[in-house]
Parts: sequence; C-alpha cells; structure tokens
Amino acid sequence: MSEHHGLKGNGRALTALAIVLAVSFLPIRSSQAAEAVVYRLKWLFNVSVVGDLYADEKGLFAEKNLAVTVKEGGPERDAIKEIELGHAQFGVASADQVIRARSKGSPVVVIAQLFQVNPLQWIYRSGRVRIGNLSDLRGKTLGVTFGGNDESILRTLLAMAGLTERDVNLFSVRYDYTPFLRDRVDIWPVYRNAQGIILQDQLGAEGEETAFFNPAEYGVRFVANSVVTSEAMVRERGDMVRRFLSSLLAGWQMALEASRQPQVLEMLARFDPNLPPRVLAAQLDATRSMVRPEPNFSVGAFDAAAWRQTERIMLEQGLIPQPVGVERSLEPAFLP
Amino acid sequence: MLPRRILQFLIIYVLGICALLALKYGAGLSDYVIPGPDDLWRTGTEVFRPFGLDVLNTLTVAILGQVISVVLAIFVGVAGRRATWFGSFIKVAAYNVQAYPIVALAPILFILVGDGWITRLLIAAMICYFPVLLSVLGIMSEPVEDIEHFYRVTGRLRWQLEVKIRAFENLSKLTTVISGSATLAFAGTIVAEFIAANAGIGYSIRIALYQSDLSRILAALFFIGIVLSVYQGLLEITGALVRRTWAGV
Repeated sequence: MSEHHGLKGNGRALTALAIVLAVSFLPIRSSQAAEAVVYRLKWLFNVSVVGDLYADEKGLFAEKNLAVTVKEGGPERDAIKEIELGHAQFGVASADQVIRARSKGSPVVVIAQLFQVNPLQWIYRSGRVRIGNLSDLRGKTLGVTFGGNDESILRTLLAMAGLTERDVNLFSVRYDYTPFLRDRVDIWPVYRNAQGIILQDQLGAEGEETAFFNPAEYGVRFVANSVVTSEAMVRERGDMVRRFLSSLLAGWQMALEASRQPQVLEMLARFDPNLPPRVLAAQLDATRSMVRPEPNFSVGAFDAAAWRQTERIMLEQGLIPQPVGVERSLEPAFLP
Repeated sequence: MLPRRILQFLIIYVLGICALLALKYGAGLSDYVIPGPDDLWRTGTEVFRPFGLDVLNTLTVAILGQVISVVLAIFVGVAGRRATWFGSFIKVAAYNVQAYPIVALAPILFILVGDGWITRLLIAAMICYFPVLLSVLGIMSEPVEDIEHFYRVTGRLRWQLEVKIRAFENLSKLTTVISGSATLAFAGTIVAEFIAANAGIGYSIRIALYQSDLSRILAALFFIGIVLSVYQGLLEITGALVRRTWAGV
C-alpha cells in the first residue's frame, strides 16, 4: 500500500516536474523561435515604405521566425547610426548617407536597393515654366534643401549645363510648401511618388498643370532608399539577414502587384487616413514604376553604376575627402 | 565675472566632449557616429571663420529680438498688472499663446511676412517674450503694501508711481529676468534659423544635421556657448551697474 502510494506519489511528482519543465521551456522556445529585430525606416509611414508595411502587416517576417518592429524614420533619424549603436539591426538609408558613413569608417553594408529610380525630383507648373533641357534652368528660381542630397543633384545638373549659382536663384527649401504654392519658386524638390502626387492633385484642382523635372532623364542617377545592416550582422548572423531580406522583398513584390492593389490601398489608408483614395492609388502607381520599373524586375537589385556615379558626384563636390569604393559596401549575396 | 563665465563654459564643453569620446572609444564607434579628436580639430579650424560670422549674425538678431520682447513685455505687463477684465484677458492670452509650438506658427508667419530676417526676428522675440512677460506680470501685479499704502491713503498713488515703486523694489529680479532672457532670445533665434532662415548658426546646424555631421554640430555648439557666455556676462555687468546707479546696491 505504502509502496503503491509511493509509486503514485513519484508519478505525481514526475508529472508535476514534467509540467513545470514544459511551462518553463515554452516561453524560452517561443522567444528563441521569433528573434527580435528592429528595422528603422528613413521616413514616416507613407507610400514610400509600402512594401515594408505590407511585409509586417501580412506576417511575412513572423513566417520566418522574426519579430520585427518597424519604426518610422524622420529628418532627425539616422538608421546607420542606430545600427552601429545597436538600437536597430536593419534600416533604410540613401546612397549619400551610406557613402558618408563609409568615408568615416562606419561598418555599414547595403543588402538591397529598394528604389531603382530616385523619387526625389522637382515639381513645376508646366503651364508657365518650360524645362526642355538643362539650360532652361537659367534665370529660374530653384528650390533646394541646402545640405540635402537634392543640393548635390542640383549642383551636378547645373555643372552639366555649364551654369553657376549666379545664373539661377537658389531658394532654401524647408518643410513648408507655401513659397511654391504662392508661386515664388519655379521648381520645388519633392518625393515624386508621395508629396509630388499630393501637390499635383492640389494644383490640378485649381486648374494648374504640373510636371516633374527628373534628374535621371539628364543622366544623374543618385541612388535613393536602400536596405542597410552592419558588417557584423552579415558576417555572424547571415541566416537572419537572409530571412529578413527575403520576407522584406516578398512584401515589396506583393505590395506592388496590381492584383493586390485594393488591399494595399486599404492598408495605406489606415496609415494615412487623410488622403483620398485616388491620391493613394496614384502614389502607389508612381512607387511601383520606381521600385519595379519592369513587370518582371526583381525588387532589390543593385544598380552598381548608379552607386559609382553617386560616389563620384560626392567626391567632386567635396562631400567626402577621398574615394570610399562604395561597391565594396554592396552585398548582393542575400538577394533571393 | 566675464572671464569666470567663459572658463565655466569651457569646463562644461570639454567635459561634454570627453564624455562623448569616452563613449566612442568605449563602444568602438566610428567617426560617423561620434567624430574623433582629429576630425573635431580639423572641422573646428575649417569652420572657425564661417561659424564665427554665423554666430555673430545670430547674436545680432537675438539682441534685437530680446530688446523688442523686453520692451513689449514691460508695456503689456504694466497694462495687464491690475486684477481687471483687461488684465486677466492679457494673462490668459499670454498663457495660451505660450503653449503653441512655434513650428506650428511658422507657416502663418511665412504667409504674412515671408521667410528671412523679419521672420527670424519675430520668432526670436516670440520665444523670448512670453516668459519675460509672465515675470513682469508677476512683479507688477504684486503690490508693495508698505510703500503703496501711504500714497494710496493720501490719494497720490497714480499708475506711473505704482509702476515705479514696484520696479524699484524688484530691480534685482527684473535685471535677473532680463539677463536670463538672453538665453531665450538666443535659443529663439536659433530655432527661427532652423525653420525659417537662410543665415545664422541655426541654419548651419540644420545643414550639418542633414549631412549627419556631428563634428560641425559640436563646433556650432562651441561658438554658441562662447558667444552666449560673453553676452550674458555683459548683461549681468550692465544689470549690476543699473542697480548700483539707481538703488546704490
């Protein structure tokens, strides 16, 4: 009896031990399964990050056992610095940021180039302003963000046209569009797929025709948003980098598919509820043409020539003291 | 007084730089995140002249903005010192407008006066004005009963005399407030340059931020600190002279 009781007691104890072990291991196993990752964007949640948002919303990161926190960017945010400080593992940065960081010894690595066409372009009233070639910039008032990459692009274009600062009026641009709306500035820098569409819509409602001055049409292909991480991540956590990037790029591919447009627009409307659906649709169309210029284009591919040109422009303008060999920071091995 | 202020600023600045460098080398950070001593020195020598001129430009606007705000604050503070409907109205307006972020008001200023020098001056004066106004209102609405009582019972207390008594009795507070408001005027001008100008040290900081260039930002902070220390030191000396002349303190 006592032996029976003893066995029964042992059985209970074993069962209890098993439950305790199972319970205590469960959270450990689940936390090991979903690795925490911070992904710092370059700008606020809008159409320019549609693929990032879609990957997050549709659980594509979770499918690869990643618990990704997608964080908004902004003018005061710098993904490269956050990665180096360990506050983020992945981020979005433009080529000029990457080149500056590399020139100062930052171990930043680019694992994908999201935008194939730089969305940073200049909007103008095509009814009154005519820009058929670069020399048409002469005498015009040109909006420029001093210190921003649009300044580098504009100075390159002026040099190509044989124009100096004396031949044009440079107008310092800030967040407020009033000077352009009040017609004090002829051309104004915008992200064509985001603010560009909004301004086009606003001015169109007042009967004004607009067009975009695209530097790429004149051979200046300054690289825009790209996905970055650290050399240490590539070296030591290659598997995680691969899982993250495949989920992210799948998110971009899916978000840009025409068949998914209604659900993508519904998602964007939740992030930007003030924009009318027709504007969101136009923004998505513009983004699609910049991220996936051809229907079969593989999102994320590198345009190495454009990277080299970006570095050369920065070198010529004294923004970096010496060449950095930017191609060495491009890491295409993780692209699907 | 002045050399001591400058020395104190230099100590704070050097300690700050040393803390940053300790973090840089302790965490193995690149020059992109925190610049090294050679980068700091090179940048410092490069920007010495342009940033020196920028900060003097900022100082000019800050002084003008401070003068405007102090004169206006004294005027409105005197008008609003009484517990009348008008006095209460001015206080409510001052408290409410102080709560508005200047970045939200900036677009309205752009529409009204465009961007540039006037906008800079207005924003600097606005940021400096309200704290000064509140101090002036506090001083001017507080009766100095011991002295005022005599004039009141003899029927000789006119508003000019009331203001003189209260100003005289709070001279030390007033000069401290005016001297302290130099920091607000300077900060206001830098904010204005950051959001609404093409000149000044705030504008240079904005460009450096776009380029993630911390060494330029640190150089700008050095110039701001030095100039502000000198300016505030001079205001304190002036305040002491005024107190000595008027009150013999």
